[in-house]
Amino acid sequence: MVSHRRYRLKQHHTFEQDDRKYAADLETGDIVQINDVEWEILSCYASQTRYQIVENLRKDYKLTAIFDGIERLEQLGRQGTLLHRVVAAVEPTVAQGQPRDQKPKVLVPFHFTGEKSSLDYLTNLNRYQFLTHLAAFAELETLSFPEEKKEDFQDLDAVRVRNIDVAAGNALTSPWYAMDGYDGILLLSQFLTDDLLYYRVPDVPIVHCIDATQRLQHVLLKTLLTLCAFQSPKDTLVVKASWMKEWIAELGMPADNVRVIPDGIDVVAPIGDKALAKQHTAALFDKPMFVKQPVVGLISGFEPSRGAVWISEFARANPHLAIFVYDTLLEQQYRHPPENVVIFSADDEETRSVLPIFFQALDLVCFPAMPGTPLSIVLEAMAYGAPCVAMTKYGMPPEVAGAGAVVESEGNDFGNFRVPMSELSNTINQWLKPSHTRIECEDAAKRLAQKFTWEKVAQEIVQCLEEGHQQSVNAFRRERNLSPSVFCRRYNPGSGTTESSVYRLGIHRYDCLQAALIEMLAERHTPAEIEAVFKHFQGKGFTSVANEFVLEMAFPTNVGKSILSE
Amino acid sequence: MERNTQKLLDFPRILHPLYLFEEQGVAYAADLEKARVVELSAVMRDILKLAETQTQTGIVRTLRASYDANDISEAFETFAELEKEGLLFNRGENLKRSFETESKWRKLLVVLPSIAVDSLFDIETLSAGTNMALSYMIQHLPKYADLHFAGSQNRKITDGVYEIDIGIEDLIRLRSKIGETYYGILTLHQEQERWLLPLYRYREFPPILVQCHAPRGHGGQAMNSILRHYAAMRECDGFTAPSDYVREFYADYVWDPSFFNTLPNGVDSALFRPMDKAAAKREISKMVGDDRIESASTVGYLSRVQSEKGASVYLKLAALNPHLLFLIAGPNMGRYASRKLPDNLVYVGFHPREKLPLIYNAFDVYCFLSMSGEETFGLTVLEAMACGVPPVVPNFDGVPAVVGAAGLVADAESFDQDIATLVSYPCPIDFSNKINGLLNNTELWQTLSKKARERAVLFTWDKTARRIVQLFEELHRKKKLINPNRLLNVFTPAQPSEEEHPEPTYKSFVLSMNEHYERCLIRDAVYPLRVENGLVLSILKEHTPREAEAILAEWVPDETEARAILKRVRGLVDGTA
Repeated sequence: MVSHRRYRLKQHHTFEQDDRKYAADLETGDIVQINDVEWEILSCYASQTRYQIVENLRKDYKLTAIFDGIERLEQLGRQGTLLHRVVAAVEPTVAQGQPRDQKPKVLVPFHFTGEKSSLDYLTNLNRYQFLTHLAAFAELETLSFPEEKKEDFQDLDAVRVRNIDVAAGNALTSPWYAMDGYDGILLLSQFLTDDLLYYRVPDVPIVHCIDATQRLQHVLLKTLLTLCAFQSPKDTLVVKASWMKEWIAELGMPADNVRVIPDGIDVVAPIGDKALAKQHTAALFDKPMFVKQPVVGLISGFEPSRGAVWISEFARANPHLAIFVYDTLLEQQYRHPPENVVIFSADDEETRSVLPIFFQALDLVCFPAMPGTPLSIVLEAMAYGAPCVAMTKYGMPPEVAGAGAVVESEGNDFGNFRVPMSELSNTINQWLKPSHTRIECEDAAKRLAQKFTWEKVAQEIVQCLEEGHQQSVNAFRRERNLSPSVFCRRYNPGSGTTESSVYRLGIHRYDCLQAALIEMLAERHTPAEIEAVFKHFQGKGFTSVANEFVLEMAFPTNVGKSILSE
Repeated sequence: MERNTQKLLDFPRILHPLYLFEEQGVAYAADLEKARVVELSAVMRDILKLAETQTQTGIVRTLRASYDANDISEAFETFAELEKEGLLFNRGENLKRSFETESKWRKLLVVLPSIAVDSLFDIETLSAGTNMALSYMIQHLPKYADLHFAGSQNRKITDGVYEIDIGIEDLIRLRSKIGETYYGILTLHQEQERWLLPLYRYREFPPILVQCHAPRGHGGQAMNSILRHYAAMRECDGFTAPSDYVREFYADYVWDPSFFNTLPNGVDSALFRPMDKAAAKREISKMVGDDRIESASTVGYLSRVQSEKGASVYLKLAALNPHLLFLIAGPNMGRYASRKLPDNLVYVGFHPREKLPLIYNAFDVYCFLSMSGEETFGLTVLEAMACGVPPVVPNFDGVPAVVGAAGLVADAESFDQDIATLVSYPCPIDFSNKINGLLNNTELWQTLSKKARERAVLFTWDKTARRIVQLFEELHRKKKLINPNRLLNVFTPAQPSEEEHPEPTYKSFVLSMNEHYERCLIRDAVYPLRVENGLVLSILKEHTPREAEAILAEWVPDETEARAILKRVRGLVDGTA
C-alpha cells in the first residue's frame, strides 16, 4: 500500500551544481532548489510510503526536517511542480489488489481494553469472540509501547503484538505507526477519545464497532456525534442492531457510513426439552411459577430507573406470566421486583453457563428495539425456538423478521419509552397460544443460530474495509482543484460600509463568500463537519446562505441542499 | 535547400549558469538563473558549448561538419526566441562580478512594473508627487542598501543601483532565489495590479513593503484594493504611507492597523530654501510679465489645475479676495483655460524643479486645497515650508500632520463616503479668513515662516531611507515568528440538552496530535472548542489572520467577542507550534 498516493512524482531530474541541489520538473520546465533531506525524499518518493520515508531517514535527519521536507514537496505539488495531485485511480492496496487468499493486515489498537470494567461481561466476551474469529480472515496486529501495561494484551492470542521501540525524545503518537502498511484499522473503543486520533491517518479505512451497551447509554449519543464528525467516507461505523441505525438516522446524524453487523451468537446443545429447562429455571430461582405459568423473556435495554418502573407496570399488567428479565444493570439495582419477575445478568463464567437453560425455558421473547437492548442476547434467547414480540417504532427488525410480531411503541430517548400496555399484553397472550404461525416462527427462531455466526461477522468486517478503500478512491476522484482565494472586506462606496467577501486570484474578481468558505473547509473537513459549521451560524441568526446553485457548484454533495433545507 | 543563417544573436554570448543533462535520451539545459528547464536538440547543445567563446560564424564553421545547415540555422532561431523570453543568455551587462564582490551588502528588490526605472533618476520626467517622492527616496536608499530593479536586462544604473533581468512573470518561480538574495521587496500599491497579490502566498519571499499613497478614492477601488492586500499579506509584509493619517483612516475598517507603517517623505532643504522674497517676486514678475506680482501679497498654488486638486476652490478664493494676487504654477490651466478667470489670478507657468524654489519664494502664503483623498502627505506643502512660506491646508488627510504648528489649518468637510473622485471639500470662507489673517499679521507670518523652515528641515530623505531599512528589519523579526498551523480539528453536532439548549448545538474539537503526528498538547486526546474557534483554526491553515478577521466580522456580530476569538486561536496556534 502506498499511503502518500495523493501525489504522484512527475518526470524530473535531480542534480547538483556549485554545492547546491536542484530538482528540475521536466513536465513544467520549472527548477526548484532543494535541501539535502528533500533530495533524499524525492529519491524514494515513488517507491516508498510516507511512513517508510520517515522511518528510513530519521536516523540521519531530525523528524521535523523530514516532515517539513515532505510538506514542502507536497506544497510544490499543489502548485503543480514536481508532484501531481492524484485525481484518478490509485495504486491498489493489499486489501483490494491482493490474491483473495492473502489476509488483509488490520491494526487493532488496544485502548479499548481500558474500557473493560465499564462494559458488561457478555460484551467483553463477545469482543474476544469477535477478534478470535476475525483472525481467521485478517492478520490482526496491535501496537505495544514500552510504557503500556502488558496485561492489557493477555488472553487475546489472535492479535499479534507489535512492539514499538521508542527512542528517547520520540514525539510520534501511536497513529503514526498505523501508517505502516495496514489495510484497515479496527476500533472497538466506546468512549475513550484516544482512538479518535486514528481517524487522521490518511487513506486507511477505519471500522469502528459500537456496542451501545446499556451501561454506556449516558455517553452513547456523545460518542456517536463525535465519531460521525471524525469519519470520512472511507470509514464505517458498525452498530450491532438495525434499530441503532434507525435511531442514528432519526437523530439527524449521517447514516451513510453506518453498517449493521449483529454479533454472532453461541447456542449450546439443549439440556433437554422446554419442560426440563423450565424445571431447572424454577429450581435455580426458587420460583415455581416458571413451571406453572407461561415464561416470557424480556431482554431489557432500559435506563435503570425508568426500566424498573416499566417492568413493574408490565408485570402488574400480566400477572399470569412468569417474566424472566435480562438486564445488566437492574440485576444489581432492582432489589425487590414484582413477584412474577426475576432479573438476571450473566456476569461471569458461571452465570454465563446457566443462561442457555433460562433461554430454553422461554415461551416468548419480548424486547424494546432501542439503544441499549443487546441484539445478540435477543437472538440467543430466541435461538432455542422462542418467537418474539418486538416493541418498536421502526417496524419489525430485519434481524428477527419472520420470527415474531411487532407492537408499535413511542419514545425519543432511552428512558422515554412508551408502549400501549394492553396491546402488548394482548399480543403476548396471542403469541403464547399454539398456532401454525407460532410453529413457523419457532422454526425461524431456531434458524437464527445459523444466520448469525461469528464467521459472517468477520467476513462482513473485512468487506467493510475493502469497501472503505474503494470509497477512499471515489472520494479522491471528486477532489477539485481550487483557484486560490483571499477572504477580505469589501468596501461599498454606495453605503460607505464594508462587508466580507472573497477575492479569487485566478479570475481577479469577487465571488460568493459562502461558496469559497465551503471549498476551503472541504479541503480538510467532511461534509458533515461543514454542515455543522453552517448550521451553527444559521442557529445564531446568520441567514445569508448562498443560493442552491452556488452551493452545489462549490461543493457537489448533499451539504448544500442540507444547509438550504434548514 | 539551405536556409540562410541569419545573424539573430550576437555571439559570443554570456550564458546564464547552466547545467546540461540528459534524461531518457533527451537533452536539457537547466537555466539556474531563471529556474527553467529548456529542451535542447543535439545541435543546440553543441552550440551552447561554444556560445561563450566563438562568434556565430565560428560556431557554424565548427558544427557544419556534424550538422545540417538548416538544423544549425533553426537552432539559432530557437535561441533567439529563448533569449526574448530571457532564457539561457544573459541580457545586458555581465554583473556577476559586481554582485559577487557586493554579496554581503543588503539588497532590496524594487518592483515597479508601471514606472520606467530611468525616469526615477530624471525627476523632470516625472509629474505625479508620488513618483517624485519615490524618486528622491530611491536616490537616497543606496546609502543603506543596494537596489535591484526588476526589469528586462542586467545593467548598472548608478552606484548601488541596478536593473536586473527578473520580470514580474518570473517572481513566483524565482521565489527561493529572491528569498535568498534580497532583504526585502519594495513596491508601490496600485489598484489594478494583478502580480503582487499572489506573492503573499509564498513564504519564501522576503518581507514585502508596499508603498501606499492613495488610500481612498476612485469610486472605492483604492480602498478595496488595499483591503485585499491587507487580508492577503503575511505577518512579515506591510504598507508604508507618508503620514499617520492612512493608519488612522484604516483603523476604522480593519482590526490590525499596525500593517500601515508611517514613512514620512523628505525634502531637499538645500534646494528648497528661503530666498530674498522681493527678488523672487521681481524675477517671476519679469518672467510672467505681470508687475502686480512685485507689489501685491501673493497666494500660491502649485499642482495640476484640476477639480481634485482644489482648482475650483482656488478660483473661489481669488474671487473672494480681489486685493490679493493668486499665482498658479502647474503644467497648464486645463479646462479652466476656457473660462473667464478672476483678474487677480495669474498663471505663472510650468517650471523645472530647479526653478521651483524661486516660484515658492514668490508666494507669501502657500495654499493647498486638494480634495482627492490621495493627499497622504502633501510634498509641495513641505517644499513651500522649506522655502519659509507658511502654508494654509485643509484639516483632513495627512497634510495637517506635516504642517504641525508651522502653518494654519482651515476647515474642510471630509466625506464619510467617496463621491466620484472627491472625498472632501475645503471651506473657501475659512481658507480666505486664514489667508487674510496670516497676511495681515506680520508678526504671525514671520513666526510661521521661521517655523515652517525649521520644521521642514526635519523631514529628510535620508531619514526616509533609513526608516525603510528599519522597517524591513522589523518585518524580518516578525518573519522569524511565523509558524505553520499544524493543529488538527473537527466540527460536530453536540449532544442536545432539553433543558438548556432545545435547539441543535454544535462544537469543534482540537486534537492533541498535530499534522506531524506529534502530541502537541498534553493530557486528553481531544479538546472541545466553540465552533467559532474551530472555524478560525481551520481558516488559519491556508489563510492569514486578516482573512479570518474578514469572516469573523461577517459572522460574529459582537466585534469585541470576534477579536477575542481571533486572539485566542492565534495564541493556540503559536503556543503549540
